[in-house]
Formats: sequence, C-alpha cells, structure tokens
Amino acid sequence: MILRMLVPAFVSFIGLSWFIASVLLPKAPLGDPNGPMYYPLILSGFLFVMGVIYFIQELKVRHQEKGILKKLFAGRTPKLIIAALILSILYTLTFEKLGFLVSTIIFLGLLLFVINGFRGWKKWVTNIAVAVLFSFVLWYGFSQLLGIGLP
Amino acid sequence: MGYNISDMIQGFHTALMPINLLFVVIGGFLGTIVGMLPGLGPATAVAVLIPITFGMDPISALILMAAIYYGAMYGGSRSSILLNTPGDGSAIAATFDGYPMAKKGQAGQALAMSAIASLIGGLIAVVGFILLAGPLAKFALKFGPAEYFLLFLFTLSAIVSLSKGAMVKGFISMAVGLLLSTVGIDQQTGVYRFTFGISQLSDGIDFLVVIIGIYAVGEVLYNLIGIDKLSSKGKKGVGKIWITKEQWKRSLGPILRSGPIGFVIGCLPGAGGSIASMLSYTTEKQISKRPDEFGKGAIEGLAAPESSNNAASVGAMIPLLTMGIPGSGTTAVMLGALVMIGLRPGPLLFKDSPDMVWSLIDSMFIGNIFLVIINILLVGLLVKILDTPPKVLYPIILVLAFVGTYTMNYSIVDFYLLMIFGIIGLVMKLLKFPIAPLILALIVGGDMEQNFRKSLVSSNGDLGVFFHSGISITLIVLTLLSLTYPFIIQWFKKRKKSADPANESM
Repeated sequence: MILRMLVPAFVSFIGLSWFIASVLLPKAPLGDPNGPMYYPLILSGFLFVMGVIYFIQELKVRHQEKGILKKLFAGRTPKLIIAALILSILYTLTFEKLGFLVSTIIFLGLLLFVINGFRGWKKWVTNIAVAVLFSFVLWYGFSQLLGIGLP
Repeated sequence: MGYNISDMIQGFHTALMPINLLFVVIGGFLGTIVGMLPGLGPATAVAVLIPITFGMDPISALILMAAIYYGAMYGGSRSSILLNTPGDGSAIAATFDGYPMAKKGQAGQALAMSAIASLIGGLIAVVGFILLAGPLAKFALKFGPAEYFLLFLFTLSAIVSLSKGAMVKGFISMAVGLLLSTVGIDQQTGVYRFTFGISQLSDGIDFLVVIIGIYAVGEVLYNLIGIDKLSSKGKKGVGKIWITKEQWKRSLGPILRSGPIGFVIGCLPGAGGSIASMLSYTTEKQISKRPDEFGKGAIEGLAAPESSNNAASVGAMIPLLTMGIPGSGTTAVMLGALVMIGLRPGPLLFKDSPDMVWSLIDSMFIGNIFLVIINILLVGLLVKILDTPPKVLYPIILVLAFVGTYTMNYSIVDFYLLMIFGIIGLVMKLLKFPIAPLILALIVGGDMEQNFRKSLVSSNGDLGVFFHSGISITLIVLTLLSLTYPFIIQWFKKRKKSADPANESM
C-alpha cells in the first residue's frame, strides 16, 4: 500500500517544489520582470493538482494488489536492475578515462556475465565474444566509417 | 497547388542518387531489424539510430532517418506475425490474423502480404501527401502565435485523451514533459531557469537523451523483469514466401480501402497508426462476407491493417512537416531527428527548402518499394535475427543507448541524465503511464511557451487574444471535444447498456 501511494505523493511533491522554484526565479531584466515565471508556475500548479487527484484515485484502491510490483521484486530482478545501474555508473566514470573500446568491452562483458551467468564454458565464450566483437564493430562503425570521434 | 514540378523532378534526382539509394536500403534494413526486436518499437529504433546520421549532409540524413522510420514500422509487423509481439500500438492489429496464419504454417505468405499491403498503403498515402501537404503548409502560414499555441494544446490534449482510462496519468506525463522543456536559459529574457548551477543544463535538457533514456534504457530495465523466463522465439520455417492468386483477390479490396482510411487518420494529431489499423480491421470485418474467419488467419484481416498503418505513418508526416506538430511518440522522435539535422519543420520548410521536402517525399516512394524487396528477400535472415537471445540483446541495446547519447554532445553528464530518464521510463512502464505525452510535450514545450508569451505580449496581457480568430475558436472547440470525447463515449455506452435489458440480465 505504501509503495502504491509513494508515486502520487512524489508527483505532488515535484509539482509543489517546482511551483516554489518558479516563484523564486530571478526577475527578468527586460520586459515583464515576472515573464519567465508564469508558464512554469501554471504547469507546476497543474502537476500538483494532478498529483493530488492521482493520490486520491490510488487511495480508493489502496488494498488492491499491483501485480507488476510483485514481479519487480520477484527472483533476481531487483538485483539485475541494480547491477545494471551500478555497471552503468562505472561505465560513465571510466568511459573517457579508459577510452571507448576498453570501457565498452568491460561494461558489456560484465553486464552479459551478470545477466547470463558464469556457469559453463559456452556462456564464457558467448559473453566474451559478444562483448569484444560488438564493441569493436561499434567502434569501427562510428569512428572509422562515420568519422564520429569516440574517446 | 503551388507546386513546382521541377522541384519534384529534382527530388527524384536526389533520392535516386546511388549514395541515397544506399541509405534507403541501410536505413530500411536497420529500422526493420530494431523495430521488429521484441519489446523495441519504431520510436526506440529511430531514437537509437539517430547518431548514425551525424556528420552526414542534411538531405542524405533526412532520407536515412525516413528510411529507418518506415523500416521500423515494417519491423513492428514482423514480430507481430512471427511472435505475436507487436513492436508498437500500430502493429497490434497485425497479430489478430497474422499470427494465426504463422501458426498454420503460412508465415511466409503473411509476411509477403504484410509487405505488399504496406507498400500499396504507403504509395496511396504518398499520393495523398503530395496533394495535401502543399495546401496545408499554405494554410499554416495564416497561423499566428496564438493559433500555434492552441494547435500545440490541441495536439497534446488529443494524445492525452488516448490514454484510455488513465487520463490523469496522461496529464501528469504531459505536465512533466512541459516542465522539463522550461529548463535552461529563457529564450526571451536570458534568465536561467531550473539549472541548479549545472552549466550543461543551460541549453536545456536534450530531448534526445530523454527519448533514448525513456524508450531504450527504460525498455531494457523493464525487460530485465522476468528475463530468465524470456527466450528467443524465432521460427525456423516460414513456408512459402509469396501469396496465391486467391489470397491476392481477397486482399486487394481491403488494401485499397484501408490505405485512404489510414492516411486520413494518420494526418490527425494524436490518432496515428494504432487507431487507423484498428479502424480498418473492424471496417473490413463488418463488410466481409466471411467475418467468422477473422481472427483465425483471414488474409484480408492482415492486409487491411497493414495497408492502413503504413498509410498512417506517411500521413503523420503531414502535420509534422507542414506545422512542426508530431502526432505520436514515434513522429515526435522523428521531429527530434529533423531538428538535429538542422531542419525546422513548419510551413516555411516547403517554401525555403523545397529540395529537402521533395527529396524526402520522393524517397518515400522509393523507400516503400525497397522495403518490400528487403522484407521479402531477407525474410530468412530477419527471422534468424529474432533468434537472438534476449539476454544478449538487451545489454547490446544498453550499450547502443550510451554510445548514441555520447555522440550527441560528447558529454558524460548526459550519461547521468540517460540513467535518470531510464529509471523514470521503467517506473512509467511499471505504473502504466503513457509515455507519448511526455515526449511530445518536451519537444513542443519550448515553442508552445514562446507562442503563449508572444501572444500575450502582442495583446498587452489580454487573454482574449486566444479567442479572436476563427482558427483559434475551432482549435479550442477541438481541444474541448478531444478531452470530453472519452467521457461522452463512456456515457453513451452506459446508456446503451442500461437501455438494453438483455445486456443487463447478463
């Protein structure tokens, strides 16, 4: 139930925060000093109202189960999603330092191992081959054929 | 109509240049592959393939993007027929009879019919495009800032009203998109808005990063749910890859009827291929002599929606190119691609860059023909690609998303935004939030605000400026109609139900 109410509450919170941030916008040096604030003010107010309506809607059905949320926390799904996000952050941090080819081989390789598993030599061969070949093809396609600079 | 025939001929000349023909083939092929991959639709295909066009000359880039777009629409139907998994909403109707045909061992015939029907539907729509686009572009020149603001409002309300049973979610999605478009330096006053001191945000949030994040990364994260139960479902044998005379006879009428239906629906903002293909399917079922065969593998049940959805995808290019109004998530991504290429869709595009417009229109003709050839000749290869295990496919898509994002601004900051929007995309998919309103709002949000403010400045703050012309009033009425339409339909259904005692007793 708490999970169900969390998103509508978050939407309302974003609407309200954006509304306050709009009010606090600096005054414009040209024309109407409040010119830059009106449009985001209307929109954030609208978002807040919609968030409240969404909250009330969810409150009415709070005891109904949300099947997809169950699936999200079933099996190794949460671990996979968190692992994918952590690897993505590591990829971001190493992308320019190690260069495209090395960082991509490592990122893709690790991701494939996390998703496919480590057991069995066939999986090792597939994961490593896909990581190396795909990264190379991508690097060659972008930097050599299309002339797009990659680190 | 005001067309210059030499522009059209020049367009053919450009579109038929060997390098552009090559781009049509490459774009069509790549679009088909990504569009048909399970879980990925045309919008994702266009989004992840945009970087390929960087550094190309604008006309070739435009032709390539259009080919990817059509290819992806074709691809969506491939997975409908072979896997019962539509690439996007417009390919849903293709599952009704396409998949039963595949189950009966007629996958090859279904694929061939889908390609042929799409070709004919597409060609009908291209003719419609040639006839309508010019006059509409001329008409759009009558639009002032107030009319443009109301047109954007109508488009957004039309797309929100399609969020069946979830209009509040549709409005939230739209409001978030519009608010995101306010991030960055205010174009009129130079005031920094919502940048939080991050210099990379001063130019605003790149909508392509949002698109790739929500569509591609969000899709990958979503597909990690239960990935152990997913397996590649590609079929090995597809049977004979051509249709019989009898099948052709049964399908010709539905194809010719559905093309114009799809084209007209495609031109309407917010409607798009899903409604077009469903409408054509139900129309054909209603007028068919064999309605009981529909849903069990009737070839006309596949031909009609395929002709219609391809015609709709061409029709959707009319509001996109003449007014800069995308009617769906996929066309919104296309608009993003056009802006990246340096084109500003709108009525002046036809006046200022007829070479571009005609090269695009003519390449639609050529592209549709090439796509049939690609789809028929390469059926075997395309089916094999569907054999790619999801556990290999999704990590690859994730890498493509990162690389595509990097090549836009060469900034690592975009990677963080990509992840944030990937998570937002995941949450939206989990909670069944419509994504199209957010994307559409983000893309048109900037122009919408500028037109809103320009209107008010010109009228000294008088809101009456939004009601002063016939066009404005028509657009307001259309907006109100689109918002109340779902409730009116619901009311009528309830009334019909309560008036029909037989239904009540059931």
